[in-house]
Amino acid sequence: MHGLLVGFAKWLEGTPWGTGVRTSLWAYPFTQLIHFTGLSIWLGTNLALDLRLLGVGKRRETAAELRDDLFAWNWIGFCIVVLGGFLLFSSTATTFLVNIAFQWKLGFFVPAALLWHIFVQWKAREWGTTQETPAIAKFSGLAEILLWVCVITAAVEIPNH
Amino acid sequence: MWEALEQTGWVKTFGGTGWMYASVSVIHYLTMFWFIGSMAVVDLRVMGIAARKRDLSELATQLFPWAWTGMVLAIISGFFMFATAAGDWAPDPVFHVKLLMMGLSIVFAILVQMFAPKWAAAPEIPAWAKVVAAIALLLWIATILTASEIPAMEGLG
Repeated sequence: MHGLLVGFAKWLEGTPWGTGVRTSLWAYPFTQLIHFTGLSIWLGTNLALDLRLLGVGKRRETAAELRDDLFAWNWIGFCIVVLGGFLLFSSTATTFLVNIAFQWKLGFFVPAALLWHIFVQWKAREWGTTQETPAIAKFSGLAEILLWVCVITAAVEIPNH
Repeated sequence: MWEALEQTGWVKTFGGTGWMYASVSVIHYLTMFWFIGSMAVVDLRVMGIAARKRDLSELATQLFPWAWTGMVLAIISGFFMFATAAGDWAPDPVFHVKLLMMGLSIVFAILVQMFAPKWAAAPEIPAWAKVVAAIALLLWIATILTASEIPAMEGLG
């Protein structure tokens, strides 16, 4: 398994896009732009639903309404994040692979947060029909926010390892 | 003046303590994604490509208070990060462009929020409103781009 991953990482670094992002002066910041723009749309829409479930802020819409409003762009944002992240990873894949913070980020926190998000988004239709959300909705919204904080913390720690 | 800020006691402690600087970086990224995402959805709604069945003013009322809260937190955390190397950041031309883009983005965000109820009340959202929303969105993207260019071009951050 490990050998396979290393082989894949080496191959990625040698691809035209991997080499391009690594060696070109302008490509790296533009790739980061893709990743960060996607993250703004993805996390912005995730946190909006989480906060509404928590009951923090305005209650102009119910959580179920907000979930439906944000659904499409939430997943468009996710696709942009993955595209940018994949390109950034390809540029120095072998280095990322052995980075402990990156391992925690992609190996644990991202899958956990993503699965939790899908669960929250799915249940929000049921939890969010009334102005006041049930306790389980509040807990779930808070848990998702904390999971994304863990993802960002792991990401911020990558350069320190 | 900026060098003096950098040498202030609390700034040195903050910049020199790994977990403190990391925590504030996390706050900066989180709140930045949060507020830009919230504003982007309103801009996309004005442009007619998001949440079309929801009334614009309803969506704007729901999202704007979160967006401004996130922005204030992003600016405060950003200032802390700036302070640790204020002498290098303050004269940096790319950083000046970032601040300019941010300022323009805020002006357009205010315009969108101010006019949203009016646009929502019109039989159809006017074309110039869509242009304003598109500019607002592009300005945030330009802000993120210049922010990414600072480490690439200047080795700062």
